[in-house]
Amino acid sequence: MLTGEGICKSFRGTTVLDGVSATVAPGEITVAIGPSGSGKSTLLRALSLLDPPDRGTVTVDSVAYPHPRPESEPPIAPPWPKVTVVFQSLFLWPHLTVRENIALPLKNRRDIDAPALIEELIDQYKMGGYVDRYPNEASVGQKQRAAIARAVALRPKYLLLDEVTSALDVEYVAVVLNHLLALKKQGTGILLITHLIGFARRAADRILFLEQGRVVEEGGRDVLASPRTSRLREFVSLVDTAS
Amino acid sequence: MDTFEILSTYREEFLIGLGVTLRLCGIVWLTGIVFGTVLGVAGGKLQLLIGAPIRVASFILGAVPVLVFLFWLHYPLQTLLGIIVPPFTTATAALAILNSLLVADMIRAVLRDFPQQYLQAARVCGLTSRQTFLRIQLPIVLRQVIPGILLVQVSMLHASMFASLISVDEIFRVAQRINSEVYRPVQIYTALALMYLVVCLPLHGLAYWLRLRYTRDLSER
Repeated sequence: MLTGEGICKSFRGTTVLDGVSATVAPGEITVAIGPSGSGKSTLLRALSLLDPPDRGTVTVDSVAYPHPRPESEPPIAPPWPKVTVVFQSLFLWPHLTVRENIALPLKNRRDIDAPALIEELIDQYKMGGYVDRYPNEASVGQKQRAAIARAVALRPKYLLLDEVTSALDVEYVAVVLNHLLALKKQGTGILLITHLIGFARRAADRILFLEQGRVVEEGGRDVLASPRTSRLREFVSLVDTAS
Repeated sequence: MDTFEILSTYREEFLIGLGVTLRLCGIVWLTGIVFGTVLGVAGGKLQLLIGAPIRVASFILGAVPVLVFLFWLHYPLQTLLGIIVPPFTTATAALAILNSLLVADMIRAVLRDFPQQYLQAARVCGLTSRQTFLRIQLPIVLRQVIPGILLVQVSMLHASMFASLISVDEIFRVAQRINSEVYRPVQIYTALALMYLVVCLPLHGLAYWLRLRYTRDLSER
């Protein structure tokens, strides 16, 4: 289980997360929704420990990462790539081809047959046409698929994705989302930040609705059908109208 | 006497002068690249302690003409310190200091501005610090600094001519001396230009090849 408890984060005096708690369970999809600036991406970065919280505890399985860390305690090895992230801006390494981007992290994984896995991913994510190109020679949608493939190749236990379907066309959104469902079935815990309410309705096991750095409402996917708070009702209605 | 006759007649003098120029440049290139890289990396890591002094020093030296800096090291500084340093050493030191600072400043700036997101992506993918430095950071940094560093090395070769003004018998001074003996400026300076071409062209070629090979445009569309 990947959990965050009482996560607080501020930037230059502005509170971005104010005591947020969240859970990503293996074999489940948690979808975080909320308006821009609600703290979704900051929560994702805090849970991944890339930007550790100012206060609060992140626990990955049984390993706790309290913040601030008590000085008497030795530093604990970060949980990567057991917990890995697909960033909104992707951050494929620009000097490596798409294939090399996927292959490089696999050099540390003797438990994975890298060449076979890469071929499998190329096929699954339909990357054959551009896998030997550099990221800046690929379209945004192609890069999104490549970034997801790079993360998935590591077989993470927890996969955190930040708006990764934003530039994909409908067909590839379906491809990616089907892969997420397959990963869920394989036991991967997924945290997805998205505006795709439709996907959340269909596949989310848990919904987190954030606003102004707080969890305003959470629960199973049914909260989208019958929100308890007027704010979530209003948000869902707006997103439905927009889409 | 045409250019090639001049070159043939005075080949020994030219070769000795060229040898001095290349020895001077070799030391300047090596020390500049090695110390500059070390200083630049240190300055990139310790921005306040090392990075800021490098920036100030290269800013000040960048505003002072090379010749003035060389003369200042050769005359006032040695007078102040009460020492006499051979002109070759003074010229080498002046250009090596300049080269080191220019290289260091370039590397420091590229490291300072390095996109941290690429490093974060490496971390979440489980790459070690060593892998991240060698496979991600270094190749991207090198791609950005190689053309600039090579241009600076070519300009160091050009600046080595100033050493002739403090009596270093490098190629330009040799050419001047031969000209004062035979007064054939057209042929002699054409011969000199040919020799600089012979040395500079491979360097330019190398810079061009490295740029093509390693400095592919990485910017996003």
